[in-house]
Amino acid sequence: MATIDLASVAVREANQRIRDLAAKGEDIEVVNPDARHHIGVGLVRPVKLRIRGSAGYFCAGLTDGPRVEVDANVGWGLADNMLGGSVVVRGNAGAIAGVAIRGAEVVVHGNIGSRAGQVMKAGTLCAVGSANFMAGYMMYGGRIVILGDSGEKVGQDMTGGALFVGGRIQSLGTDATLTDMTEAEDAEIRAFLERYEIPFKGKFQKIVNAGKHLRYPRTEPRVRVMPYTVAASNDYWNARVREDIHVKAEIGRYRIRGYGAGRPLPHLTDIAFRKDVSAFDVPTDVIERVNMGTTLGDRFGAKPISLSMPVMIAPMSYGALSKSTKVALAMASRLSGISENTGEGGMTDAQREAAKTLIYQCLSGRLGWNIHDMQRAEGIEIYISQGAKPGLGGQLMAKKVTKEIARIRGIPEGIDLRSPSRHPDVLGADDLVIKVEEFREATGYRIPISVKLGAGRVRDDIKIAYKDGFDYVSLDGLQGSTGAAGHEVLEYVGIPTLSAIQEAMDALDEVGGRNKMPVVLMGGINDGVSAAKALALGAHAVAMGTSVLIAGGCIACLQCHIGHCVVGIATQDPEHEKRYNVPVEAQNMHRFLEHVRWQLAAVTHSLGYTDPHQITRDDLVALTPEAAAITRLPYVPTRRDGPVRSVKQAAAE
Amino acid sequence: MCGIAGILYKRKGASADIGKSLIDMLDGCQHRGPDSTGFALYHEDAKDDEFRLRFLVGEGEAAKQAIDRIRDKLAEFQAVILEEENVGSTYRVLVRFRGDIQRFSYAMEHAAKVISIGRSLDIIKDIGGAHDVDGTYTLNSFTGSHGLGHVRLATESDVTPDRSHPFWATGFSDVAIVHNGQITNYWKMRRRLEKRGFEFVTDNDSELIAVYLADKLAQGSTLEDALKTSIDDMDGTFSFLVSTKDEIGYAKDRLAAKPMVMLEDEDLVAIASEEVSLNKLFPGRALKTYEPAPGTYRTWQRSI
Repeated sequence: MATIDLASVAVREANQRIRDLAAKGEDIEVVNPDARHHIGVGLVRPVKLRIRGSAGYFCAGLTDGPRVEVDANVGWGLADNMLGGSVVVRGNAGAIAGVAIRGAEVVVHGNIGSRAGQVMKAGTLCAVGSANFMAGYMMYGGRIVILGDSGEKVGQDMTGGALFVGGRIQSLGTDATLTDMTEAEDAEIRAFLERYEIPFKGKFQKIVNAGKHLRYPRTEPRVRVMPYTVAASNDYWNARVREDIHVKAEIGRYRIRGYGAGRPLPHLTDIAFRKDVSAFDVPTDVIERVNMGTTLGDRFGAKPISLSMPVMIAPMSYGALSKSTKVALAMASRLSGISENTGEGGMTDAQREAAKTLIYQCLSGRLGWNIHDMQRAEGIEIYISQGAKPGLGGQLMAKKVTKEIARIRGIPEGIDLRSPSRHPDVLGADDLVIKVEEFREATGYRIPISVKLGAGRVRDDIKIAYKDGFDYVSLDGLQGSTGAAGHEVLEYVGIPTLSAIQEAMDALDEVGGRNKMPVVLMGGINDGVSAAKALALGAHAVAMGTSVLIAGGCIACLQCHIGHCVVGIATQDPEHEKRYNVPVEAQNMHRFLEHVRWQLAAVTHSLGYTDPHQITRDDLVALTPEAAAITRLPYVPTRRDGPVRSVKQAAAE
Repeated sequence: MCGIAGILYKRKGASADIGKSLIDMLDGCQHRGPDSTGFALYHEDAKDDEFRLRFLVGEGEAAKQAIDRIRDKLAEFQAVILEEENVGSTYRVLVRFRGDIQRFSYAMEHAAKVISIGRSLDIIKDIGGAHDVDGTYTLNSFTGSHGLGHVRLATESDVTPDRSHPFWATGFSDVAIVHNGQITNYWKMRRRLEKRGFEFVTDNDSELIAVYLADKLAQGSTLEDALKTSIDDMDGTFSFLVSTKDEIGYAKDRLAAKPMVMLEDEDLVAIASEEVSLNKLFPGRALKTYEPAPGTYRTWQRSI
């Protein structure tokens, strides 16, 4: 057994040594841990790790297989997302012990803090002492055994799995209920306790989900397909408004639909280039003349994401989209030399193989999240929110929660899945620092860690992202689309993409962070010209989702949430998915992306630059008072009327 | 967006290394707040008519002018200067003063930014880590029976000494607070207190908690009762520590959204955001700590 002394070795180095020793199959002992965070994070070997003292946050987090013993206490997030293996803690555990575990056995001899087993999927969490409030909060599966008292609101909003309480049940959470347990279950638990040498003679009470909140009582009705052009018309009582009223009259609640905001908003189209770019000849080899290569994510020494142009595929989940579509997106990203992003639903092998550069997103429900896929990604992105629904988690309606989707996400089949609106372990900027560090430990500080922010309080959020040590920010405006969200949220909660980038740049200027932390802008960016304007306003790159889907066959019917997508994109129905021709659509997406490249190059060249990053806000004017007010660009609505002239000339006249 | 720490030695006549203990504890959780660090310390030799005042005066000419203004204002209130010192970006003065401390405090605020006023309280806070602040103000050798500390991660407002914590209960002698979290009914609570004539000198919710508690104390509440009502009256997420010249206490919101770990034995009670801070006091030892339950509060009195 090897010994590592944390009195003389930093955790980062210690974890590297632990991984190296574990690769050789050697057991490890850690002395003088003194409650330091992240001990054992990222360990994927079946070795023994003994911690002689207390450990801090995320002890044995993001692991698979080790057998960990802690002599004293642990902080928040014990065994975070542990897939297999075991942890035994002799003292107490802080909040969210066993958060998001997916098969591990976690035993705490003392008490466990609040929200134990939050969003866990499988495995066993056992407390010999008592639990604090909301044990089993939003759990999807597995079992929690509490030999002491349950704490208040036990099983709050649980979806699957079961809790077994040996002591007093203080109060049941929403949608949790008591039920009889079978002899087999009882015998299994007692065998588990015996295996961990825990004497217990008492009786258990079993708590499960009551099933009242798993599905919306009325599902969304099928409605006539309405093209976006009709839906977004500006008339007062247009077809969409009337349809919306009809649907609400039927279901009696907020309405869920796909796509983004359908009302006119100030956007990048309200901005023009100061110079009339049409007056210039674009040479046929313009793409060769412009340097489009873009890198992202080396702020803290990670291997940066390398893009052939400042464009990425926006995050969209397998779940909202069919597997075929995700593979087509991955193929197109490789063909165009850009990146693909997993979105919420985890990573499939097919997607991994098809994409050259794949960013793996971590969301609040930790659906499909695991250490192995983290380690095979080129980037990791922690999702806080998205432009279409800031402050809310993902929604996936029951029709799309198939057996396969449920398996990869680790949830029960056929529920209306509402992902948590916040991360279990990120309740503030201070927690987020520790979370980012955990991801870096788990991936050996090799890959960039970014944060996805929906545009809400952009100024504050960007400053937090800058302080909390992210490599870059993915910033998503109100015009961003989604697979499913409440109509009111889609239309009225976020702030426009144009406002978002302006606020972000102002915030970075206030903290001296411009050019230190790149911002990737998304939300309604649908061509290379808009991309060029985004870059001019300060974005380092843009991400495109909806436009690439449209290139790949989407008919923009806004019915993504229903699950019957006729072209096989927003569906999990094999009959519908059969219609999707992956290689053909990948080529269509690729050709569209290449045109985006040409547009970016043509604009760059026409403005007299050799790199789109050289374009600045001095090259822009606002065409509307709203856009001018948002961006503080000069309001020059007449720009298109006059002859080509520079601003200096115009001023002189 | 921060880390908090507090310590109280229970032994009678204990004059422990409070400065060193707090520096160690804050150094342990500096990852929670690398921007600024602060300390609320209590001097042992308090006298009824002597007050310690610390002001933020900046540097150079600005500092000189501020100090002149402070001296004028002190003279106006017949406060006799017994000791004075210009250290870091602060000006510390010990005065003899008899009169209404609240009126005195509000008036002083017009001379320069007051950091703290108290018979024994002295708040020292500045940008940088625990060791940086110690380097400027030499806190390592400070002895006493109790104190609080804070590390701040500035996310919304600037990194400046006046926005650092701890916060003093403006207008009340000797009450200090360190807070991790956010009070969401801040303006409602503040307006209620303002209607009763209290003045606020920052927009920081920690100042609100301090004034709220100090007001309860002034009305004859025990610290324990004041903490109890604070849990009902304050909305939001919070874990905070409060100190007076003889006591420390904590309160924690019902959602337990902000961490807090406690260590208590016959000699001391130490509370911090994370156990790693407590372990800094006792390196290499497995400690018997526990997390205070959500919605709870408690106080400890020093032995005099």
